[in-house]
Amino acid sequence: MSHLQVTDLRVDFGGLRAVDGLTFGVKKGEILCLLGPNGAGKSTTLDLICGKTQPTGGSVRFEDVEISRMFEFERARRGVGRKFQVPSVYKELTVAENLAVAQSRKPGIWHALTRLSHSGRDRFEPILEKVGLEKRADVVAGNLSHGETQWLEIAMLIAQDSRLILMDEPTAGMTIQETARTAEIFRTLSKSHTLIVVEHDMSFVRTVADRIIVMNRGALLAEGSITEIEANEDVKTAYLGH
Amino acid sequence: MDVILNQLFAGLSMASILLMIALGLAIIYGAMGVINLAHGEFVMLGAYATWALQTFAGINIILALPIVFVAVALVGWIIEKVIVQRLYHRPLDTILATWGIGIILQQVVRLSVGAESRFVKGPDLLSGNTQFGGLIMSNYRLFVIAFSIAVLAATWVLMTRTEFGMRLRAVIQNRGISECYGIEANKVFSLTFAYGAGLAGIAGALITPLFSTIPTMGTGLVVDAFLVVIVGGLGSLLGAASAAVLIGEATALFSMLLNDTLGRIAVLAGIIVLIRFRPRGLFPAKTRH
Amino acid sequence: MTTRLFYDLAGLALFAVVIVLGVPALMGFDAFELNTFARYLALAIVALALALSWGGAGLLNLGQAATFGMGSYAMAMHLKLKASGDALPDFMGWNNVSELPLIWVPFHSLAFTLIAGLLVPAFIGGLIAIFMFRARIAGVFVAIITLAFLVAFQLVVIEQQGITGGQNGLTGLAPLELPGWSVDTYSLSFYYLAAGCLMLAITLGLYITHSKFGLILRAIREDADRTRFFGYNVANYQTAIFCISAALAGWAGMLYTLVLEFASPTYMSVSFSLAIVIWCAVGGRDSVLAAAVGAILVNLLEGKLSDIYVEGWNLMLGVTFVLVVMFMPRGLHGLLGDLTNLFRRGAGKRRGNRSAPTQTAKTGQEL
Repeated sequence: MSHLQVTDLRVDFGGLRAVDGLTFGVKKGEILCLLGPNGAGKSTTLDLICGKTQPTGGSVRFEDVEISRMFEFERARRGVGRKFQVPSVYKELTVAENLAVAQSRKPGIWHALTRLSHSGRDRFEPILEKVGLEKRADVVAGNLSHGETQWLEIAMLIAQDSRLILMDEPTAGMTIQETARTAEIFRTLSKSHTLIVVEHDMSFVRTVADRIIVMNRGALLAEGSITEIEANEDVKTAYLGH
Repeated sequence: MDVILNQLFAGLSMASILLMIALGLAIIYGAMGVINLAHGEFVMLGAYATWALQTFAGINIILALPIVFVAVALVGWIIEKVIVQRLYHRPLDTILATWGIGIILQQVVRLSVGAESRFVKGPDLLSGNTQFGGLIMSNYRLFVIAFSIAVLAATWVLMTRTEFGMRLRAVIQNRGISECYGIEANKVFSLTFAYGAGLAGIAGALITPLFSTIPTMGTGLVVDAFLVVIVGGLGSLLGAASAAVLIGEATALFSMLLNDTLGRIAVLAGIIVLIRFRPRGLFPAKTRH
Repeated sequence: MTTRLFYDLAGLALFAVVIVLGVPALMGFDAFELNTFARYLALAIVALALALSWGGAGLLNLGQAATFGMGSYAMAMHLKLKASGDALPDFMGWNNVSELPLIWVPFHSLAFTLIAGLLVPAFIGGLIAIFMFRARIAGVFVAIITLAFLVAFQLVVIEQQGITGGQNGLTGLAPLELPGWSVDTYSLSFYYLAAGCLMLAITLGLYITHSKFGLILRAIREDADRTRFFGYNVANYQTAIFCISAALAGWAGMLYTLVLEFASPTYMSVSFSLAIVIWCAVGGRDSVLAAAVGAILVNLLEGKLSDIYVEGWNLMLGVTFVLVVMFMPRGLHGLLGDLTNLFRRGAGKRRGNRSAPTQTAKTGQEL
């Protein structure tokens, strides 16, 4: 039984078919890596799953419910979380406030009106420790360094606690040590979460991926373990462009 | 039937005035994303300049037009340099700042010229009416309609067929890259703002024989003109022209069917609904997205 | 308790002392002066209502005067009925209205009036909000739609002379009769009624700002799309703050009618709406308290200066406003914050200079 099942997914952008009949499934607790050359439709696929883009056709079923026609906030409430390629933390809010926003199990207005903005702070402490930001809780996020911003975003994903997490190039701009630490966090996350990761860094993919999907021109090109993919002739051709 | 024809002509006449005002606003909004709420005051300045030229120097409206254009454009240029240029990255604040500028201009005129209304005589050459059966058209209004079409055409040529227009479009699309190629974006924006202001000045000059000239005359006009811009679509000259005709005729039609106030209310309501469903206007400029 | 909350509560306490004790004492308990000041307090409420939506959620509502006017007319209708006794309100006769319009009938009841003065603006504000925010209208378009609504609404009010009194508004009102208290607007107790209303409104505003609701709104202000991906229904949040803001504006409007003893369509004019924006900008749009202070200060200045420079006042106001927008976008409140930071940094530097070189590292940590 797939945790997320994508079937015959399609989207057109004014004549350009960015995703074309894509079908794949992800099991619960799995880390699936999406690979492919530029313009293969990887980010668009994540957009279609989280609701940033509406599909032209096909279906996205999450935990056996069709979500492809829902608003993005409804999908988020069902447990689909997204990390974007550009670091998107709230620069005007403090680190603790960023986490308070991310902690959104009860996103309703009444709940929000009956809580103070810093309530539940003790729950963030362990998360901040995990990413090494425990001393920066009251710093305005705009004042964080680039690396710290990345960690804050990962902390926000943990605080959001989505059952399915979609990540777009989580290690972009990270040092080797930071990438290793991210890989470690991903492995712990995967015990209770399902992850779909778009990533170019092959060494990172080797460490974390349970399974790999390669996309080309909006469609599925190959699927399998890292060794199977590395031996695949079609994949080589697509990457070399012949 | 004649009633309807005359009403249609009234609508067209109003549309031509709206177009003249909206054109400057559309250029400024389209180029810089600045909602210039002082635009009505530029119109008012144009009207007062015309009045001053006629009263103190005996220059008639037609001859005053180029002088007024340059004078108001200069005011616009200074305002852009001193104030607006600092606020390009804060769009909501430009609304407020230009609103404040509007108040200042209004008060300056009120303090220096007085609050009483001033009248400007239309050119003798264009007095009288042209009649087709039951349709009576004032010559001056016909002139305004023709003139506004000419200005629209000139602006279109300026934006699409000249070096300046090309630079402006380059800056609008990508300011950073344009500056790398040696285009001075600040200068282009200043000139564009000045041109928009100058057009407002001409509009002010042209309406002097039709409206009474008072310091607050711009306030009502700018709301209408801005609605024309929004309805027409961001950065689209022809869109603004079509929207001006649409709104002018709709106002005239509703005014005939209901009354002036209800007509205005109906048009405002229609526009609110339009912005809601087509926030990029009826005729948005074509882009890839 | 966060430092922000601490500063806000300290500010509120200081403000309360000034308003409750300082102002009446300074005015020498003069009934006329107190009445004038009560007017400023009413206007402070509508300014803080705007700060909630504009500063708190980034939604610049240029139609705030419309909801203010609704509250003001609700109160005026009640007092007009009271003044007319069993007869029809006088202006209806002049407009050939022979029977009390249905919409007026429930305003015989004070309870209904008070509730309507809050809920009608909230309801109308909510409708506009749903209309805009469901379509994800944002930024300058919110400003333009609310402005267009305001213009249309004022036209409707002026047009419907038989119901609203048209251009003249509603005049010749009776004093408000509260249970056991016939309200004399030229009295210390009325001043305290207005002050109490303002305190309550500020407290409510501060609570909203410091609640998780306020936090989510700030998140939406910065990045609405991102906030949707955390599962928040952004349109609902924006609609809620619009309703709250509109209700507060209605409340301010009711109080304003009491002070001035008439309601006029000029309360719903574009220039009045702009005035609210100016007060809010001068005080500081980020804080409800600062917006209230801004409203009081600007109106106080206007009261003092417009007598001396009748014509020049608007010019000064315009210049001040442009300067504030350009150089002080966060208003006096922001200026105060910057100055405090500057002072702290300066103090820290001096301390660092005085201490022995071996201790600099420790001082650095303190900073």
